[in-house]
Amino acid sequence: MIQAAIFYLLAGATVLAGIMVISARNPVHSVLWLIFAFVNAAGLFLVIGAEFLAMLLVIVYVGAVAVLFLFVVMMLDIDFATLRAGAMRYLPLGLLLGAALSVELLLVASAWEAGAIAPSAPPRSGLSNTQALGTLLYTDYVFVFQAAGLILLTAMVGAIVLTHRERAGVKRQDPFRQASRTPAETIALARPAVGAGVETEGGVR
Amino acid sequence: MTLLQSLSVGAPEVVLAAGICVLLLVGAFRGDRALEGLSWASVLLLALAAVPLFDQAPGRLAAWNGLYVADAFSRHLKLLVFLGSAAAILVAVPYLRRLATARFEYPLLVLLATLGMAIMVSAQNLLSLYVGLELMSLSAYVLAAFHRDESRSSEAGLKYFALGALASGLMLYGASLVYGFAGSTSFADIAKAFVAGEVRNLGALFGLVFLLAALAFKVSAVPFHMWTPDVYEGAPTPVVAFFATAPKVAAMGLMLRLLYEAFGGMKADWQQIVLVMSIASMLLGSVAAIAQTSMKRLLAYSAIANIGFALIGLAAGTAAGVEAVLLYLLVYLVMTLGAFVALLMLVDADGRQLEDLADLAGLARTRPGIASALAIFMFSLAGIPPMFGFMPKLAVFSAAVEAGLWPLAVLGVLASVVAAYYYLRVVKIMFIDPPAGVVVLPGEQGVNPAVVGAAAAFSSPLGYLLLGPLAAWGAEAARALA
Amino acid sequence: MLEALVFLPLLGFLAAGIGNRAIGDFAAKLVTTGFLFVSALLAWVIFFRQWGGEGAYTVTLAEWFTSGTLSVSWALHVDMLVAVMLVVITTVSALVHLYSWAYMADDPSQPRFFAYLSLFTFAMLMLVTADSIVQMFFGWEGVGLASYLLIGFWYRKPSAWNAAIKAFVVNRVGDFGFSLGIFGLFLVFGTLDIGAILAAVPAHKGTTFDFLGSEVDALTTIAILLFIGAMGKSAQLGLHTWLPDAMEGPTPVSALIHAATMVTAGVFLVCRMSPLFEAAPAALALVTFVGAATALFAATVATTQHDIKRVIAYSTCSQLGYMFFAAGVGAYGAAMFHLFTHAFFKALLFLGAGSVIHAMHHEQDMRFYGGLRRHIPLTFAAMTIGTLAITGVFYTAGYYSKDGVLFAAYARSTEPALVAFSVGLFAAFLTSFYSWRLVFLTFFGEPRWAGSPHIAHAHAHDAHAEAGHGAHGHGADPTAGYHPHESPPSMLVPLVLLSAGALFAGLLFHQAFIGAGEAFWAGSLVHDPAFYAKLHEVPALVHWAPAIAMGLGLLLALRQYVLKPGAAEDFVRTLPTLHRFLYRKWYFDELYDWLFVRPAKRIGRLLWTGGDQGLIDRLGPDGLAGLVGAGAAVARRFQSGYLYFYAMMMLVGLAAAMTWLALKG
Repeated sequence: MIQAAIFYLLAGATVLAGIMVISARNPVHSVLWLIFAFVNAAGLFLVIGAEFLAMLLVIVYVGAVAVLFLFVVMMLDIDFATLRAGAMRYLPLGLLLGAALSVELLLVASAWEAGAIAPSAPPRSGLSNTQALGTLLYTDYVFVFQAAGLILLTAMVGAIVLTHRERAGVKRQDPFRQASRTPAETIALARPAVGAGVETEGGVR
Repeated sequence: MTLLQSLSVGAPEVVLAAGICVLLLVGAFRGDRALEGLSWASVLLLALAAVPLFDQAPGRLAAWNGLYVADAFSRHLKLLVFLGSAAAILVAVPYLRRLATARFEYPLLVLLATLGMAIMVSAQNLLSLYVGLELMSLSAYVLAAFHRDESRSSEAGLKYFALGALASGLMLYGASLVYGFAGSTSFADIAKAFVAGEVRNLGALFGLVFLLAALAFKVSAVPFHMWTPDVYEGAPTPVVAFFATAPKVAAMGLMLRLLYEAFGGMKADWQQIVLVMSIASMLLGSVAAIAQTSMKRLLAYSAIANIGFALIGLAAGTAAGVEAVLLYLLVYLVMTLGAFVALLMLVDADGRQLEDLADLAGLARTRPGIASALAIFMFSLAGIPPMFGFMPKLAVFSAAVEAGLWPLAVLGVLASVVAAYYYLRVVKIMFIDPPAGVVVLPGEQGVNPAVVGAAAAFSSPLGYLLLGPLAAWGAEAARALA
Repeated sequence: MLEALVFLPLLGFLAAGIGNRAIGDFAAKLVTTGFLFVSALLAWVIFFRQWGGEGAYTVTLAEWFTSGTLSVSWALHVDMLVAVMLVVITTVSALVHLYSWAYMADDPSQPRFFAYLSLFTFAMLMLVTADSIVQMFFGWEGVGLASYLLIGFWYRKPSAWNAAIKAFVVNRVGDFGFSLGIFGLFLVFGTLDIGAILAAVPAHKGTTFDFLGSEVDALTTIAILLFIGAMGKSAQLGLHTWLPDAMEGPTPVSALIHAATMVTAGVFLVCRMSPLFEAAPAALALVTFVGAATALFAATVATTQHDIKRVIAYSTCSQLGYMFFAAGVGAYGAAMFHLFTHAFFKALLFLGAGSVIHAMHHEQDMRFYGGLRRHIPLTFAAMTIGTLAITGVFYTAGYYSKDGVLFAAYARSTEPALVAFSVGLFAAFLTSFYSWRLVFLTFFGEPRWAGSPHIAHAHAHDAHAEAGHGAHGHGADPTAGYHPHESPPSMLVPLVLLSAGALFAGLLFHQAFIGAGEAFWAGSLVHDPAFYAKLHEVPALVHWAPAIAMGLGLLLALRQYVLKPGAAEDFVRTLPTLHRFLYRKWYFDELYDWLFVRPAKRIGRLLWTGGDQGLIDRLGPDGLAGLVGAGAAVARRFQSGYLYFYAMMMLVGLAAAMTWLALKG
């Protein structure tokens, strides 16, 4: 009973947060509402006893992704008013679309009957959530796990391809070169004649 | 099933994944000057990954706890995909070098996408389906924006990414609906849950629609096609040559497998959706292409129309239909690749790519070789006998007629007639119009002339010589599925 | 050897046709003519081997098509009948090729001309060597095509392409009959192989089928249908109107196609299928009547024409009538013999006429000739030999063959045969009259060239060139100062060779062709030795009748055109209606125009404006094109470039699919 009450509370808050994400005028507020939605979702995980997933959600989504969003949104001064201007023309159609989809999803909900789900792989006894997830991920689902790893690799490569630039003439520290240089190649002793100066880097100092 | 078994059954993917990591390291250390070497190494890697395809025992070989299967169907499609990817890697080298964007990541991104596609066509589970699709898509987004300093390219990448994310969302939503109603994400279990003749399960049906929508986005079937012209126009030409070929083949293959293996019991329902998408794609692709002035946009609409034709075979819902789709994909891949590579070879005096239809004027006089090859591709894409492109069209139409869908075949023929107009317009511009005065330089072309020549020979009536083995091969693959 | 014979002309056609301007006039001419001479040589070898008793044989080249029980292959069949045709075709064709070297020397597109000639020869060879009726139809249509192309060779001339179209359309009527005949053959015999069909004829004799409630004899129907095809190709009465118009083509073409070879294809068809025709007496009677009527009709028309080529064209038509009624009375050998000799003397006459035309600067109207024998003596000699042969002067080719035909008709002594005999006799008189009329008008009397626009035109050029030293005018000079010149050797050599043929072909071959022996034809056509024996036992009056008719015709022509110039005009004045009737060719063209052409045009116009433009174009191509254009514009507007619009379209598609599925279930 109390479990159900908490579920509806958290679920209601999640839906509310979702609506606020797309309706808030200020993008920073949107991101904050998104964080709220993530936290609520984490709560929902806790309700069904998936504490590891709940923690992951908080750490990864709230701690990393959402905060990154926040930075981006705050740094890029996006004028949402102009972006919305065109979209408003399609608002009636959009609403109609939303209504139709909602009705259909309600139909689906009504079509769902308990017991249709055959519970897959019952949790093994004596294992914590984290261990159970780990054993599944590294045995039965190692294929998709590795594939997901490749997706992340692609994302990394992609990010580098799209943003990394080698600028010529930028002065920066190269620890490897710094550590491996020898006195022979850096120190030159000179005994200049009076008034002649030393020729270095193309000029006379 | 031991890990070793899985590794051997899934050898193509394993080899690819390991090879990608090695090549990535090589690239990271050697830098962009390694592009050409890496490209050839990538092609070698693809060839290496293709070896197990010929080597495996016939029949279905499951692996990775049922997430993966190696059968004649997946082997057929993988070979096509590898072929398309290898060509896409090689033909890009002179292009990238000319535009000073020769970065070593290009072949690696194509390889990653190829790996995704290989996983897709072997998928036996919604999970593996999704990761394969994402791996391909993510690489594709990056490739579309590869010319990051060019606003058109960035715009293409962004659009593709945003809409692709929406499609991924739809797919996940659909997958969760299906999981909710079937209790499993495995194709076999889904098929067991939704058997034909039972009460229609609306949840599963909607899940199917969501999944279909996402896949339709990947193959750019109407109305999920809107990204195609914009992305094709903005993305670098070799990348478009890649987009238009291998991913289409893989996504169509995935669609076939999903619909037949997981949702075979709901054939009556998906047939109708596919039918509508097919008609809409054929008609829109054929009609909209007429108003285009850019060759790349024209080919984008051509891709939409051709997917519509291929979907006819799927809509037929018969073994002959599947066979026809496979043949269609094969011939389409070669023709389209050839057309794009021929386009790639057209460079003006400043090293810029020629992409407008108007630039092609009088090409027959300035570059008769390329013009004739393009003419062959256009005739073949239009499906005009005796070109080889006529054969797959005939196959899908006859599959539709055999399945009693003759109105679909009639509409298909009608769309072909309309499509023939713009294909032939290209030929007319090249052969009849006076030269546009644009100097087309021979320049450094790498393997491109060879690729164009081979594709042209295949698309010409000479292709019929290969029809026997190709049809037998396709029939074997189709049997594995149905 | 046979393959080489048949396919060399095809090679020549390909070389000259594809090479065209690239290989140049000389090479094209050399290749085509060279190949044709080799073919002709091979044809004579085959002919003599057949004569020597080699026997019929068939060379199968390839499968053509198989459909159900119908299987047809490409095969070349040779027997005596075919060998005769091979000789005629290749010999005349080779000579015509040679003749054309000079005749077409000024034409800008000679390779095309020679390519067409070779194409024609190939098609004709395919026709005669056909082993199956379908292959024969292939050749049949092939020669029709080549004929169309060659009649319309000077396609800038409206009269030429009109004539070409006319020839094609009229032939189509005959071809329709022919194809119906082929269908009938397959229906009755279940095969299209000619040998098999002919072997099976006795078994199917008397077969009937039901047509509109009445029983019709199947073999008679088929024979008549095939004969309709033959009528079209051989310009028999009713379907003859294209042949005179076909004279618009270059003269060598007229000689080759419209005199010696293609037009005789109908006769060949009847002879080749002679066992079938023998089994259908009613059809044979029809053949006899039509042949006799054509012989008479064409001969009467020929007496009034002014155009030298048209006279010969009607003469051809008339001689074809002879061949048909010979076949109709069962004397296939005599028909083939007349075909054989006719090829020589008619080709000779045409090429001679071509030589005259060449000399007279393309003037074809005999009213502007006259007195040419002194200017072009060799041509005169050749034309005279041709005339001697066609009128049947003793021991010339025509003497044997025409008398053979007439005697056969008499000897058959059935009612149609006797009608044919008397008609043929009268036609022989007319033949003699118009042939000598041609010679007298052309070569005797005073020159009448001054009135010719062609000569005047040619002369104007000369006068222009001479304008420097004063034009003192030729006054009333009937030659208009024009000097005809003899043709070059390449035109004269064929004339000489054909003259030899026209003189001696009858003498040499009549024993073989229409003798009482069985051996020569060796079963390649129906040949009854006893019947041929009767040919030599006709009463004396009958025996001398053709000669008398010929003599009368000669005397009449001599009186009208040489001894009493002006007598012909007097005759026209006395009987203007008859003359006009004959001059307008019995009003056949007008009748057809009124009966078919105009109604067809009216219907066509109605369908064009009402049906095509009003209905189909508006709803079809034009409407669709407009729709497509509008659709393209709409699609363009939809492709707005806005991301959220694209995304929404995806969702619309998704929602539509879901809604539809939800409502449907």
